[in-house]
Amino acid sequence: MTGDGAADKVYVLEGFAVPEQLDSVHALLAQAAADHPHLDPMDVMLFETAVIEIANNVVEHGRPEGEVRWKFTVRVHPGQIEAELDDTGQSFTFDDRRAMPDEDAEGGRGLALAEAVLDQIEFERMPDANHWRMVRRLGQHRQD
Amino acid sequence: MELTEQEIGTCVTLAPVGKFNLVSAPPVKARIDALVAGGKVKIVVDLGGVDFIDSSGLGALIGGLKAARQHGGDVRIACAGEQVRAVLKLTNLDRILSPYPTVEEALHDW
Repeated sequence: MTGDGAADKVYVLEGFAVPEQLDSVHALLAQAAADHPHLDPMDVMLFETAVIEIANNVVEHGRPEGEVRWKFTVRVHPGQIEAELDDTGQSFTFDDRRAMPDEDAEGGRGLALAEAVLDQIEFERMPDANHWRMVRRLGQHRQD
Repeated sequence: MELTEQEIGTCVTLAPVGKFNLVSAPPVKARIDALVAGGKVKIVVDLGGVDFIDSSGLGALIGGLKAARQHGGDVRIACAGEQVRAVLKLTNLDRILSPYPTVEEALHDW
C-alpha cells in the first residue's frame, strides 16, 4: 500500500511470546517502514531496536514461559511512530529511568537502551495483561 | 544464524550473519569461550553480515571480550553497520569495543 492509504494503516501481529516469533516482529516493522518510504531509516532502525528490546523482555521474563501471548499494534503518524504491546504474562514492575549498566556488564541494557531511543515509554498493568506503549518522534536525527 | 570462522595466523575471525540477538547470541558467546579455552585469544568478530544487534548480542561480545582479556587476548569488532554503531554508542560500549573499519585493520598489530 502506498500514498494516503498507508497513513491510517494499522499493523498487527498476534502470537506467542517466544524467541522464534522475534523475526515476525522485525517483519511487522519492516512492512510498516516499506509502506512509509518517507520515514528516516535511522528513526526506523532505532525504533525497531527499542521494540525488540521490549519484546525480548517479555520473551525472557514472561511467565508461564512459552505460554504468554502477545499482540503488537504499530501505527505511523505524521510526526511519530508508535507501537503498543499487550502481553498475557504475569504482573511486572516497570522501573523506568534505568541507568545504563557499566561497560563490563553482560546484561541489563535492554530497557535502558529502549528508553534511550524512545520519546515515550509507558507501562500499565491491566486486569489480565501488561500494556506497553512506545513512541519515537520522527525526524530528530538524534544520536542520543 | 550462520557463523563462519577463519584462522589467520594466531588470530581467529568469526563472522556471524543475520540478526545478532536473543536467539543467536548464546552460540556465538559459546564459540568465543571455546576458542579462548583452546588458547585462541585474539578474536575479531566481523559484523559486516549483521544487520541488527540487540542487548543480548552486545552481552555476548562483552562476555567474550572479558574472557579473552582474562587470558591475555582481546575481542575486536570490525565492519559494524549503522545500527550496530548506533547501539554501541547509546550503550557507551564504543569505549571498550571500538569498531574497526575492516577486518584487516582490526588484525593489523596482531
